[in-house]
Amino acid sequence: MNTDWFYDFPFKIPIDLGAIDNAVRTFSAKYDSFFNVIRSGLNGFVNSIYNILNFIPWFVLILFIITAGWKLSKKVSTGILYGALLFLIGVAGLWTLMNETLSIIIASVIISLLLGFPLGIVISTSDRADRIMRPILDTMQTMPVFVYLIPAMLFFGLGKPPAVIATTIYAIVPTIRLTNHGIRQIDREVIEASLAFGSTRLQSLVKVQIPQALPTIMAGVNQTLMMAISMVVTTSMIGATGLGMEVLIGVNRVEIGRGLISGTAVVIIAIILDRITQGFVQQSEVKTDGQ
Amino acid sequence: MRRVTGLLLLVCLITSIMIGCSGEISGNKEIAFADAQWDSNKFHNAVAGIIAEKVYGYSWREVPGSTTVLHEGLLTGEVDVHMEVWTDNLATYNDDLAAGRLKELSINFDDNYQGIYVPRYVIEGDDERGIKPLAPDLRYIWDLKDYPDIFPDDENEGMGRIYGSIPGWEVDEILHRKYLHYGLDDNFIYFRPGSDAALATAITSAYDKGEPIAAYYWEPTWLLGMYDMVLLEDEPFDEDTYMEGETELPAVKVTIAASNNFTENNPEIVEFLSKYETSSQLTSEALAHMQETGDDYVETAKWFLRENEELLDKWLNSEDANTMKEYLNK
Repeated sequence: MNTDWFYDFPFKIPIDLGAIDNAVRTFSAKYDSFFNVIRSGLNGFVNSIYNILNFIPWFVLILFIITAGWKLSKKVSTGILYGALLFLIGVAGLWTLMNETLSIIIASVIISLLLGFPLGIVISTSDRADRIMRPILDTMQTMPVFVYLIPAMLFFGLGKPPAVIATTIYAIVPTIRLTNHGIRQIDREVIEASLAFGSTRLQSLVKVQIPQALPTIMAGVNQTLMMAISMVVTTSMIGATGLGMEVLIGVNRVEIGRGLISGTAVVIIAIILDRITQGFVQQSEVKTDGQ
Repeated sequence: MRRVTGLLLLVCLITSIMIGCSGEISGNKEIAFADAQWDSNKFHNAVAGIIAEKVYGYSWREVPGSTTVLHEGLLTGEVDVHMEVWTDNLATYNDDLAAGRLKELSINFDDNYQGIYVPRYVIEGDDERGIKPLAPDLRYIWDLKDYPDIFPDDENEGMGRIYGSIPGWEVDEILHRKYLHYGLDDNFIYFRPGSDAALATAITSAYDKGEPIAAYYWEPTWLLGMYDMVLLEDEPFDEDTYMEGETELPAVKVTIAASNNFTENNPEIVEFLSKYETSSQLTSEALAHMQETGDDYVETAKWFLRENEELLDKWLNSEDANTMKEYLNK
């Protein structure tokens, strides 16, 4: 019995993959000057953050982290623990590599906030925009990274600029989602009350809705930061230097020690940044509760 | 409703089991090729595979894995044939061979070059594309020192960029030593592209735009088969100092190896594979053809054998060679 029709699709659409390749490549060659502007802009941005980080003496940064940890957790011991962990990165000889990695992370997070926060607010005001954006955001989070890394490399070359772009695409999503969510979950009565007392829509947004939504928004910022850190090793595969590259070299050469040490440094950065931003989340919660 | 769904699921389960059981049990004449996941390896698998299929009636499949995993597979007999053993990359290969844990059938090719390449238009220009020769006197690796502005690094003003090898490859360390040895660190950055895909993209994108680039690459690859790149010359190879980066890199002996078990039980295939020999040049051409046409490995293998029919006469006896030619020209 011929059961081919059972398992084979009735017809296949021939997809011309070569045409897609060529289109992307000619596009990148044609608008080279445009992409060069973005590339050098991003380069300058990352480099200036890197220079600022390098300008700060190591003990100043450690002291800052100790005080921040202490103030936010109300415990001196916590602050000292964070400081000691950061000190470990320094004595392991990874300080400048950490600064390099941090400059990429910070650049991506700043861009994510600049774009994601307004976008989240826009989506929160319109159900249609929300419906359109949701699948786009899903795509951004689940599309395998290398699928868009390759075009990013064609457009922006190798190194830090495509790393920042790839990190932003991946990490911007929680900022947008949680800003949207935070504003949407506010009681209608609160907004109505603010409008009834004569505030304009803009005043209501800035003075009532955003402060109300702040804890949720801060949670989004925290998630964005964590996701940016999780991209560190992936972006080293397109030539972004820093701790990620150390991990990659260690893993590729089966130098377990090297991978472990630099991997631990990434974890330390993640933990410190997570706890500090979480501290901000709690503080903003306390504030809004007090109002 | 629930009962109906359950019944449907049961029916599905039973039919799938029945269909599964009625499937033909394939004969034991099967070759498991090692698939180290790069193009040239898959291509040689396809070439040897279709010959084994059409001439000797074997079926073939591929076992994917990393270099070391596949080598272990050869030793234990889970992999039958490895068409491309890069012997220099396997620390234990020579010991295992001497101890008789696997058989080397032939040398697939040993004329493969690797090193720092630049597009030919950088040196000679390209009238058709309107590219002027930017570095007409570039010939040796150390000549790069005179041209940091032609190969600029975006991240460091005033420095040039050499795209090095993939982190973790032995050659990456050798190249880095070479970069220091020739004093290129004065005005060049040794840039690690991070992955094979990234390195290939950097080169293709520069080539498409007609921009200069100095990058590590190796043969046989579709990239060097397709693009006209010039290997920068170096001091002649010397066994004692090449690891320090002081001379050019040696060609790696790429062999065909088979497991002991397979060698004993399949004399025909072993005889054919013992004569199997190509070259890096031929392989690169085939891979470039595959890249251009978008054909799969099997189609490319057929194209390759049609283009190079004399290989069949070398590898097979005249009767089998004719069978194969008839099949190819059908």
